[in-house]
Amino acid sequence: MTLIARPGWRHDAPRPTWPGLRLPQRLPEGLGLPAAVTLTALLLGALPFLRLTIAALAPGWQFAPDAALEQIGSRAAVNATLHTLETAGFSALAALLIGGAVALALSVTDLRHKRPLAFFFVFSMMIAPQVAALAFLSLFAPHSPILGALGLSPAPGTPNPLLGRGGIILVMALHHAPLVAITLWTGLRSVPHSLVEAAQMEGAGPATIVARILLPVLRPQIIAAALIAFVAGIGNFGIPALLGLPVNYLTLPTLIYRRLASFGPAGLSDAAALSLLVALVAGGGILASVLATRRAGGKVEIERPLQPFWTLGRARRLVAGALWTLLALKLGLPFLALLCEALTPALGVALSWQSLTLDKFTEVLLRQDVTMRAFRNSFLFAGSAALLLALISIGFAYALERRMGRFRRVVELVIELPYALPGVVLAIACILLFLKPLPLLGVSLYATPFIILFAYLARFLPLALKAPVAAMAQIEAHHEEAAKLDGASLWQMLRFIVAPILAPAATVSALMVFLVAFNELTVSALLWSSGTETLGVVLFSLKEAGLAGEAAAVAISASTIIFAVMLGLDLCGKRLPDNVLPWRI
Amino acid sequence: MRANILIILAAAGALAATAALAAEGKLVLYTSQPNTDAQQTIDAFKALYPKVEVSFVRDGTPRVMAKLRAEIEAGSPQADVLLIADSVTMEGLKQEGRLLAYDAADVSAYPAGIHDPQKMWFSTKLITTGIVYNNKAALKPTSWADLTKPEVKNLLAMPSPLNSGAALIHTMTLAGNLPGGWRYYEQLRDNGALAAGGNGDILRQVATGEKLYGMIVDFMPIREKAKGAPIEFVFPSEGVSAVGEPVAILKSTKNPEAAKAFVGFLISREGQALALRQGYVAAHPDVALPAGYPTRDAIKLMPFDAAQALAGEAAARKRFSAIFE
Repeated sequence: MTLIARPGWRHDAPRPTWPGLRLPQRLPEGLGLPAAVTLTALLLGALPFLRLTIAALAPGWQFAPDAALEQIGSRAAVNATLHTLETAGFSALAALLIGGAVALALSVTDLRHKRPLAFFFVFSMMIAPQVAALAFLSLFAPHSPILGALGLSPAPGTPNPLLGRGGIILVMALHHAPLVAITLWTGLRSVPHSLVEAAQMEGAGPATIVARILLPVLRPQIIAAALIAFVAGIGNFGIPALLGLPVNYLTLPTLIYRRLASFGPAGLSDAAALSLLVALVAGGGILASVLATRRAGGKVEIERPLQPFWTLGRARRLVAGALWTLLALKLGLPFLALLCEALTPALGVALSWQSLTLDKFTEVLLRQDVTMRAFRNSFLFAGSAALLLALISIGFAYALERRMGRFRRVVELVIELPYALPGVVLAIACILLFLKPLPLLGVSLYATPFIILFAYLARFLPLALKAPVAAMAQIEAHHEEAAKLDGASLWQMLRFIVAPILAPAATVSALMVFLVAFNELTVSALLWSSGTETLGVVLFSLKEAGLAGEAAAVAISASTIIFAVMLGLDLCGKRLPDNVLPWRI
Repeated sequence: MRANILIILAAAGALAATAALAAEGKLVLYTSQPNTDAQQTIDAFKALYPKVEVSFVRDGTPRVMAKLRAEIEAGSPQADVLLIADSVTMEGLKQEGRLLAYDAADVSAYPAGIHDPQKMWFSTKLITTGIVYNNKAALKPTSWADLTKPEVKNLLAMPSPLNSGAALIHTMTLAGNLPGGWRYYEQLRDNGALAAGGNGDILRQVATGEKLYGMIVDFMPIREKAKGAPIEFVFPSEGVSAVGEPVAILKSTKNPEAAKAFVGFLISREGQALALRQGYVAAHPDVALPAGYPTRDAIKLMPFDAAQALAGEAAARKRFSAIFE
């Protein structure tokens, strides 16, 4: 990608005609943007967290941390912390290996059918984590028709091998591997091909180039990818809820959820104390990533992005086979198991042409108002959050990279808080914040769609910032400086120089936000009210009410929508700017 | 007999017609019924009261209550009508003065003791908790005591009182009536029993054969068996615990007319007939039992004191989690 500043604003925008006024105009501008960013960060990140801290340490506005400390030091909390660290840690490592291998294979080799491979790999992550867990559970259940067909049916009463630590790590690793791959793809795009050519001229083989040149160059992205997977693992609720709760293997999010679900607002101070603990754990991860990815060198200007340089020859089929097998295991089989569950008339009934029924689908898609409304709600919430965040992220990326100085790390930490905290905790914080009517305005956000939207904005802002901030870091500052010298206002500069350059990255982020929020459960689980139920809520509720087949039908329908949206985007991908779709490599 | 029913139906119809004129507007129902049942209940109600627009919120009883409590704290409870698993929770709300008495409710057909004497909450069904087992199980359990046998080791799942209102009552009833008291639950734990999730989770685990035995509310396995699931439901010989799935109107309701119409419908003969069609044991003593159940008098209920239970609720939850967490 060649970065050429678009000179459009020079023609469109009237230049200030009174130089004497420039200075007083600029000064507030120079402070205005950082101030706005800081305020937004405080509102979305710090305020909910602060409210929780008060609920934990000073219930009733009296400083009394004893109960919280006792809660944090309790056996259950210590165990849950260890469980959280080991599942998040091991799954992040495994995700890094799987996602890294896939990212490299699709970027540097001459593999065929890269587009469908990348597409399905990314698609597998867009399925909600609780759906993925449910699908894997069905796959390995003793009655599973798929295991039966393979002659692998375990004896009745055999505990599901996926229940417990191993299963959580496995499903989480598979689920977060595409997250790693996407992060690495973004990084690989910023590697200039001339590096490879130089090495090839020196006679280096492809393996050497990958090991000695690509991986070191990608180090910040690799560390970032691992930490993204780690933090995602800490905050994940759906997978440990389905695979851990049934065997009382609790992580911090599920422990908090259990406390809240059974004790209601009375359990709030306990939950708040535990959430401080999660914040501490996740905060460590974030801090590590800030330190590890601290930039040492200058920016690279890319004339020609990385091209595939590894000719696999005979190994090509082998590598392709391995990748398709991975997809079949990760996506195909569990999805098939889910489909079986949705098509059988009752739990535990063998699926056959005689027993096959579409009842579950008609029930959830045609008979129940709730399910249809949930589809619409999820679409609206996820869509508006994605759109707003894409716009915000451009200003944020610019401000963080150029205007905040050392203060940037603090702001970033504050922004990361709601993403690192489990969704249930953010939800409780939002309830505490918005239960009572807002001061001055006198309106209560509680039980309106806006409380969910606020929570989505707070939660997914870090996700929306990732790509634009990374892209901003690659941009030389001289375009903006030139614009500044030419007298462009901050707004003009953002609008005509920064925004066009960051647009692809912001679009990617917005898409990610949409696809993640569309299936989101943990935030909306506590914030929904009548009329604002989301897909995740309906799905969880159906499963809990013993309607596993109906839950599977909703899961499949939702996944079909995601698939259709992705496919539609892919089809019009040619008209979109380069590198907008994460699976288009 | 037939003529009598016709007269009752006609009278109910006439009543419904007059009430229908008064009842209109929006109504929000908070319920722990499965989604399909909640939708059916609302559809049947709307057939009689087309001017009322009903929406519902569904979750396990503890979580419905967590939501409602938070809303009460905010000063704007959203629910008009509450239809949840247990009367203990209702008793608590009543003592806090949050329920609206429905004095005109016609409960003449019901035996005394089913509903709240001040007409603040009304039982709609009789939901018992017994034992479910997979057809592949070696032992066919007939009593609660059977679940502590070695054949059941590591093969039993039960809902957690932290997730289900019915499970909370069930736990307190068993601990209060079985000879060992809480010792029974310690024996279950020593036998590798799992206590987690809600009744739906238990159904899934036993029907799919991950576990072979479970404690569960009656209607789920009986309905699922009728659809072909390889499971059996047992009313254990010591007796079963029961909840009444009570309905109540919140004092804060914005639409008391529609709320009363809804409650009136649930305890009316038509509402009770709907419960039968859905596969529940209706609270009304004259309504027949759905297929798959023994006769009414063959179901032995363990005694249970709601007021006493209210006092011991929190302690019971703590005791349970201390044993199983």
